[in-house]
Amino acid sequence: MIDKLAAKQADAKLQCEINGSPVTLETPPTRKLLQILRDDLGLTGTKRSCEIGRCGACMVLIDGKPVNSCLTMAYQCTGKSITTIEGLAPEGGLHPVQQCFLEEGGYQCGYCTPGMIVSVTSLLERSPKPSMEEIEEALSGNLCRCTGYGGILRSISRAIERGGMAHEG
Amino acid sequence: MALNRETSGNRWRIRPDGPGKVTGGLAYLTDLSAPNMLHGLVLRSPHAHARIAEVRTEEALALPGVHAVLTHADVPGLNRFGIAHPDHPVFCEERVRFVGDAVAAVAADSAELAMEALARIEVDYEYLPVVSDPELAMREDAPQLHERGNIQHRNDYVRGDVEAAFAASAHIVEDTYETPRQMHTYMETEGGLFVPEADGRLTVYSATQHGLMDRMQLARILARPEADIRIVSSPIGGSFGGKDELNVQPYGALLALACGRPVKLHNNRFESVRAGLKRHPMRITMKTGVDAGGKLLAHRVRIVSDAGPYSTLSAEVLNFAVEHTLGAYRYEAVEVRSFCVFTNNGMSGEFRGFGGNQALFALEGQLDRLADKLGIDPWELRRRNLRQRGDPGPFEQPIAQTDGARQVWEALPASRLWLERAEAAAAAEAAPAAPTASAAPAAPLGMTPDADLRSASSGTAEAATLQLPWLKIGYGASFVMHGAGLGVGIPDPAGGRLTLAPDGKIEAAFGYEEFGQGLIASLEQMLIEKFGFAGSDLRLVVGDTDAVPDSGSSTASRATSMMWQALERMREPFAHSLLQVASRVLVLPKERLRIGEGGVCDAASGERLLAYRELAQSAAEPIACETSFSYPASPVERVGAHYLYTYCSVGVKVEVNTLTGRVRVLDQFHAVAAGPVVNPQGFLGQIEGGASMALGFTLTEDAVMNSGMYLTRNLDSYLVPTIAEQRGRVEVLPIEELPDGDAHGPRGIGEVGSVGLAPAIAQAVFNAVGKRVSKLPIDPAELQEVPDIVKEGSCPV
Repeated sequence: MIDKLAAKQADAKLQCEINGSPVTLETPPTRKLLQILRDDLGLTGTKRSCEIGRCGACMVLIDGKPVNSCLTMAYQCTGKSITTIEGLAPEGGLHPVQQCFLEEGGYQCGYCTPGMIVSVTSLLERSPKPSMEEIEEALSGNLCRCTGYGGILRSISRAIERGGMAHEG
Repeated sequence: MALNRETSGNRWRIRPDGPGKVTGGLAYLTDLSAPNMLHGLVLRSPHAHARIAEVRTEEALALPGVHAVLTHADVPGLNRFGIAHPDHPVFCEERVRFVGDAVAAVAADSAELAMEALARIEVDYEYLPVVSDPELAMREDAPQLHERGNIQHRNDYVRGDVEAAFAASAHIVEDTYETPRQMHTYMETEGGLFVPEADGRLTVYSATQHGLMDRMQLARILARPEADIRIVSSPIGGSFGGKDELNVQPYGALLALACGRPVKLHNNRFESVRAGLKRHPMRITMKTGVDAGGKLLAHRVRIVSDAGPYSTLSAEVLNFAVEHTLGAYRYEAVEVRSFCVFTNNGMSGEFRGFGGNQALFALEGQLDRLADKLGIDPWELRRRNLRQRGDPGPFEQPIAQTDGARQVWEALPASRLWLERAEAAAAAEAAPAAPTASAAPAAPLGMTPDADLRSASSGTAEAATLQLPWLKIGYGASFVMHGAGLGVGIPDPAGGRLTLAPDGKIEAAFGYEEFGQGLIASLEQMLIEKFGFAGSDLRLVVGDTDAVPDSGSSTASRATSMMWQALERMREPFAHSLLQVASRVLVLPKERLRIGEGGVCDAASGERLLAYRELAQSAAEPIACETSFSYPASPVERVGAHYLYTYCSVGVKVEVNTLTGRVRVLDQFHAVAAGPVVNPQGFLGQIEGGASMALGFTLTEDAVMNSGMYLTRNLDSYLVPTIAEQRGRVEVLPIEELPDGDAHGPRGIGEVGSVGLAPAIAQAVFNAVGKRVSKLPIDPAELQEVPDIVKEGSCPV
């Protein structure tokens, strides 16, 4: 029974778009998107940390919405467009939010940073001039242990000031 | 001047590791993989205390795709680890002493198979009584966890006649302070990649705070020469002391060598919780007496620290706590008795602040309680008892003298926050019925945009809610004198190397690790500012035992100080060597040349005359300079006494909701006297980040255990501050001035930000609602009040 199920799972095909490119993968439908990205595709900018959707280190965009990839299974990605930190800006360029984090020092160890930047990007695309309450809500699922969020808030401020979320480079 | 981007000008620099961090391109050691790689997992004890009757591994080994199942019988060398006292078994032989103890390890083709293999290992345990209360563990009839007994270490310090001093005291306060089992909660859990190389060597890619220490310990476990092991230990996704001891390394190394294939381990969060270090829970009883004029006469301290099952650096942490329960004050007589006790609870060990956090919460709490008895301002009581310049340290040991204590003391009353507090007090006096914080916040000076964002929004929220009678505002402050370096009695080496590499890069090699603190950014900035190099001239080499000299550990707020001192020592000789060769090549007198961006320049015009690449090609021998020295130590016998100190004053404003019992920190001020600011962005980040850790320590963080079992398993029940808890303002004021002729340069700032906030919040809570908090994290139930409407009886109770 287990073997049959495993065989059926292994047969499953995932078709989706990751960072703008179509992807077809043979993967069990229950495999976590986090593992698919990191272990199968080598996209290690998406980080593994709590794996219960509390810390946000694994945050990616699915059809533009921030989602914890540790809680997302392969079958839920079918036909979706997935953006990871690696796909936020064209190769070699920086997204304006990345640029602001860089300039303001919105990171220290950097392990939460990809997820944080993904969440901030999504927030500013929805709401270019968010209130503190909106920021709080949007980042309630992103933990940073190093900065005390000071540098992160400064980075967001700068990104708001600059407006315009168009990619550079 | 408040520290921020604007006030830092062009000293605010983009970190060299920044681009890789914001793009996700930087590979952490747990991101690495290798062809033909296996996955390793460790089988840990499900019991807090048990005898191992039998371990059967055959079924696990028989599983196709499982390549090794190891137990203690497979350890060729010392089956123990631990930096100072190696008593932590790699694999337990006959007994497990906590729920993280390792019994076996497996390597398999996939993580799923490895998990299945773990499930097929059978271990027969016989339960033993669990020792979970350190006080009970000290009793003679308690089950003994080690042959040496349950008291791992004690440290007494007695000076003067404390009984006579109490007899002479006008006021005495006594309280017992309890602190939580705080978890480091680095976002990257322990893990790494272990690669047996073709030449027979082993490469370990795994986080630590002292690569050479890991190499020594692994050599001892593996029974191999140290030279056969290479430790690559950067970059790291946070450590805070928690990755100082070995964690997954022994298992990865043993499995990789047993299989002859690369092995990867990466702890899931619960494994990190159960096996990882925590801050020592301490119970500190203090009795302190003053005369009628507020002069401290007598100070009696008893510390009981929960070490957990093995030593780690528990003894050293206790020594640090003893020193810091005395702190920045002078007393007629003191008596400290302290104990560090083995239990079957989780592992306690190194954690940012190193015992100072617990000690300061108690000590500053005493000062606040005494000021209350005396009816004077708590800050004034501190002034009357502060060590003056020229005074010795807490153990009466000689220390490097600065004016730091006076400087940070004076900075608080002059701060924006304290001026606001004075205005609020004046307003309250004028209209006693009005809420205490009705004064409009003063216009921020030189505040960063984030502060505007924070104050604009929270200010509005504040204004809207201030009138609610169940919201109470209070202010509190604390004073910190924090030692850095390992202290007397512990080897504390330092050193570094500068080389002009064949490709023309100036290579700076230090045996330190980058775990987020900004070490390489500080190194780059010092090389630029001290020598005149451009960032692009440099190659910074850290975290690789094959490539670095012995610089000591990246701990104890010491690394930036030691890099600064090493560069001071190497500046003249290295610059001299570069210019001498350049002078020969250019056929120009050395005096006409100087170090510049991109190459050697004309000293007068600044025109670049010889690129470093050309210089490297012209040099007959490699141009290099190396230095080796030790962290400065006090010339006394007292183990753990420090020589260099950082001083800090912390002021906070809190809001207590007496309906929910919740405390919000609205505003913080930190004055930090630590000598010159090496890297403004890093300095600000260390104080802000340390304070955030202290906020969690004070309000929400505790890895809860019951009879040696973790009830806390992950971040759903372990609550580190989120951005919502951090919406208050944070102002950091560095005081850079040092006495003329001071040779020690920048003092440590990596830990001090995490120390002072707890007692300041406790005092602010007292000022808001009149309740003394002596146990952390603060239990909201203690601060809840019965609403008037219930008290009046209009609701049936």
